[in-house]
Amino acid sequence: MVSYIIRRFLAGLLTIWAATVITFVVIQLPPGDFVTSYIANLQSSGTVIRAEEAEALRQQYGLDRPMYVQYAKWMGLMLKGNFGMAMEYNRPVREVIGDRMAITVVVSLAAVAFIWVLALPIGVYSAVRQYSLGDYFFTFLSFAGIAIPNFMLALVLLYVSFKYFDVQNIGGLFSPGMALEPWGWPKVWDMIKHLPIPAVIIGMAGMAEVVRIMRANLLDELRKPYVVTARAKGLAETRVIAKYPVRAALNPFISTIGYIFPFLVSGSIIVSLVLSLPTVGPLLYKALIAQDLFLSGTILLLLAILTVIGTFISDLLLMWIDPRIRFGMEGSN
Amino acid sequence: MLYSQRDTLRSARWMLLLTLLTIFTLVMAACGGDGSEPAAEEAAPAEEAAAPAEEATEAPAEEATAEEAPAAEEAAPAEEEALGSSLIGEIEGPKIITDEATFPAEFAEAPMLTEMVDSGDLPALADRLPVPSDLLVIQPVHEIGQYGGTWRRGFTGPADGQNGHRVAGGDRFVFWDAVNFPEVVPNLAKSWEINDGGKEIILHLREGVKWSDGEPFTTADVMFWFEHMYMNEELVPVRSPFFNVDEGATLEATDEYTLRFTFPFENSLFLEVLGSSVNVFGGQAIFGNTGMGGFAPAHYLEQFHPDFADQADIDAKVAEEGFDNWVNLFKDKNTWQRNPDLPVLTPWKTENPITTDNWVLVRNPYYFGVDTDGNQLPYIDRISMTLAEDLEVLNLRAIAGEYDYQARHISLANLPVLLENAEAGNYSVHLDPAQHGADAGFQINQSYRADEEIAKWLQNADFRRALSLGIDRDAINEVIFLGIGVPGSAVVAESSPFNPGPEYRELWSPATPDIEQANALLDSIGLTEKDADGYRLRTDNGERLVLEVNPIPAFIQFTKVAELVRDDWAELGIFLNVVEQERGLVETRRAANEIQMFLWQNDGTDELYLYPYHALPVANTSGTGPAYGDWYSSNGAQGIEPTDESHIKVFDLFSQGLKATPEERVTIGQEIWQIITDEVWTIGTVGQSGAFMGVRVVKNNMGNIPSRQFNIQAGQTPNISRPSTFYFTDAGE
Repeated sequence: MVSYIIRRFLAGLLTIWAATVITFVVIQLPPGDFVTSYIANLQSSGTVIRAEEAEALRQQYGLDRPMYVQYAKWMGLMLKGNFGMAMEYNRPVREVIGDRMAITVVVSLAAVAFIWVLALPIGVYSAVRQYSLGDYFFTFLSFAGIAIPNFMLALVLLYVSFKYFDVQNIGGLFSPGMALEPWGWPKVWDMIKHLPIPAVIIGMAGMAEVVRIMRANLLDELRKPYVVTARAKGLAETRVIAKYPVRAALNPFISTIGYIFPFLVSGSIIVSLVLSLPTVGPLLYKALIAQDLFLSGTILLLLAILTVIGTFISDLLLMWIDPRIRFGMEGSN
Repeated sequence: MLYSQRDTLRSARWMLLLTLLTIFTLVMAACGGDGSEPAAEEAAPAEEAAAPAEEATEAPAEEATAEEAPAAEEAAPAEEEALGSSLIGEIEGPKIITDEATFPAEFAEAPMLTEMVDSGDLPALADRLPVPSDLLVIQPVHEIGQYGGTWRRGFTGPADGQNGHRVAGGDRFVFWDAVNFPEVVPNLAKSWEINDGGKEIILHLREGVKWSDGEPFTTADVMFWFEHMYMNEELVPVRSPFFNVDEGATLEATDEYTLRFTFPFENSLFLEVLGSSVNVFGGQAIFGNTGMGGFAPAHYLEQFHPDFADQADIDAKVAEEGFDNWVNLFKDKNTWQRNPDLPVLTPWKTENPITTDNWVLVRNPYYFGVDTDGNQLPYIDRISMTLAEDLEVLNLRAIAGEYDYQARHISLANLPVLLENAEAGNYSVHLDPAQHGADAGFQINQSYRADEEIAKWLQNADFRRALSLGIDRDAINEVIFLGIGVPGSAVVAESSPFNPGPEYRELWSPATPDIEQANALLDSIGLTEKDADGYRLRTDNGERLVLEVNPIPAFIQFTKVAELVRDDWAELGIFLNVVEQERGLVETRRAANEIQMFLWQNDGTDELYLYPYHALPVANTSGTGPAYGDWYSSNGAQGIEPTDESHIKVFDLFSQGLKATPEERVTIGQEIWQIITDEVWTIGTVGQSGAFMGVRVVKNNMGNIPSRQFNIQAGQTPNISRPSTFYFTDAGE
């Protein structure tokens, strides 16, 4: 088992390295570079940059070097814990991301909490009371949740909150004026008040999906002979369901940990844009548009690392929770 | 028995479910069907309308363009008359008072500054203002204002510096009269002398002007900028053609408050350059971060400059802040919107930087401007800009009345919703149409060479005229510009002195298409063969003649315009391929001379000599001939030399105009516009709609707001209206 964990760990490292290469190449693929978008921006302020000036700018940013040199420079910096400069911000990438990472984690955790807290009981209920009125109701809801694109939901909610409720600072995570305040209870409370809408919107599709998965898995389990046997022997219904079938049905749940975090960051870009959330998503989007190598590269790399770590953790959890996997492995060893 | 019972149960459940669904549907229908129906219908386009105006494509943008057209068509006929006349006012603005006899003698300051003076954090007002005879005295457009308040706006991120520059910048030696463009008025300079027809220009700076940290601003700051920044090859690798020291332009300080510029030719345009957005003297606020601007705070920046500070110290700072070299550190320190420590000369200065969610500007206690009663400007304490990650959110916040004054990023397509919610949001909407002729114009690449056959036709004047004749401009005006714009050619507005005459608006550019004449022209130049679908054929290989345009999803719904034009041109048998592309890609391809036509607003052409790029191919950013532009700007070293008479003539005229007297310049400008319009190098569609940065949402409690203002790049609108005189009418309450 230890060798399995070590193998998984090394494979993870290799995956991350491959991700850095792919990330870097992909960012470099579109025509133009940061200087191109910088110049476009200057033009909108009435200045025209000539070819020689553009060249000089490229030299200053090191953009005139071949791709592998830039990659080596980036990797070298990163190994020293320096992620380079975010070009539009003219601040170290670490600072720019750091500001937004905390908020991203909070929003994501809220969304995950929303998904799990609701999806588990609903999934179990739907399976146990299959074809009941409640099941139809939740089925309808979860199909709607999956079918409605979440940015659309966000737009509608935004409009409704503007039209029918007196909402200050539409979208966003803080009331006007609060963003500048130092962190403290009033600010935290202000954020908590703003959290439910983004959490529900971001988590809606995920929740609907998990409800469907849970329901289907549990239904499979409930039809197995061991459940019939347990019932026949007179075990209490709640025990019958909670003790074995639910545990067995949890497996796919655990595996979702691997992708749920990166999904919440990258999959919610459009929602974060629409809701104007100061999270990493919009930052990534704009960095890609501006072709900011270091900023977008670092965020993408971060996502890759999150995925790898998430998968690793879910593998460990599965081993721990499901004896079949654990024993199956030992058997093969 | 058992089974039938179960069946009954099951069917009962189905009935229940059906009932539920029916109720649900009814509720939904009721919500949509009550009195709020128009609101619900318009809501969707409004929310999505901002998407095409965004600088990048994203999923909703596609849907929005498809959905907007009907909404616009519905709105236009009903409100057409009212919209134009009620939203476009008369141009008005504050005045700069130059008669010292009428200057105020007593002065007052904002309460927040009095507090700081009382607590000893700030010197008294008299010690902060320039000597009384050298004050910048501004007569507000309507009345004397009141101190206080925070002006709320929205911005889109660290690249949106203009958002602050345009309301709180304007730190130029001279600036523009708010009403009579291009009349130059004093600003940082009190007065000027033009000698030898422009070979020598003397600027007199105001005595006693201070940087925002209290240090005096003198010619030393200008000379520091000139000698150690502008002339430093690392900081400024290429010097501006508008101040070409290699051709003999010089700058010297004759005393603490006098600057002397000399030129080897009669540079009568130079005063306008000083007031314009040309980077070299365009002010520290906008251009400090490129080493340009015209002056810089020597006392602060010397610590980051190797001419003054120890290299080891600088290297340590560079390393500490994570930069690669001293140049990037220096530029960062001289960035108005990012560095709160930077001494500035603007009415407001950065308090919380643009790299955060809330960019805040606070009043500059040393600002050198006062109103006619002697109240130090600005009236408003702070400007607070909240980050909107997306233009849709920004527009929605404007609709909700969350901004006090905002024109930037507000989309014309949202006008109906903006008006509908004006009362609830307690704001009013103004339109400020600019003078440039085309809010959407096809700049036809004359230097295109990638396909010889296509190039041949693009360079054929009759071909371009036929294309122009075939466009239904009225339809574009109704669908895209809500019927507000002026259909016609790309020529500058009739209100501009450079306009050659009203007949040029219609020249080859009628409001309704002239298909007959267009077809006759196309037939006459030899494009007579057509394929089975009715499209004209190439003359070299007999295949269909295919033109391509690459609209950019930004500012105006260019893709929608291109699609309407595509349908118009199909009537002429001309096939237009519309391929939307991202801005950076189009501009890269344009610089490489690869695109056939560039669809854009021709902004800046209203200041023909200062920003000619969308009118004449004088740089590789010009859509009408990037390779000609390379040739012109490199003095023939690169690019393609134009050989046709019209281009030779127009380049010659332009060079003459740059060095002519102001009166001659206007005459020459008119002649240039005659040629441009007759040659149809740019096929104009609709202009003067206000769609380009001209849709202004203003809360009703703001005072000194012009009903219409001059909307021009050089004037950094609304800077031309002196936002330091804007105020909140309820500030005292």
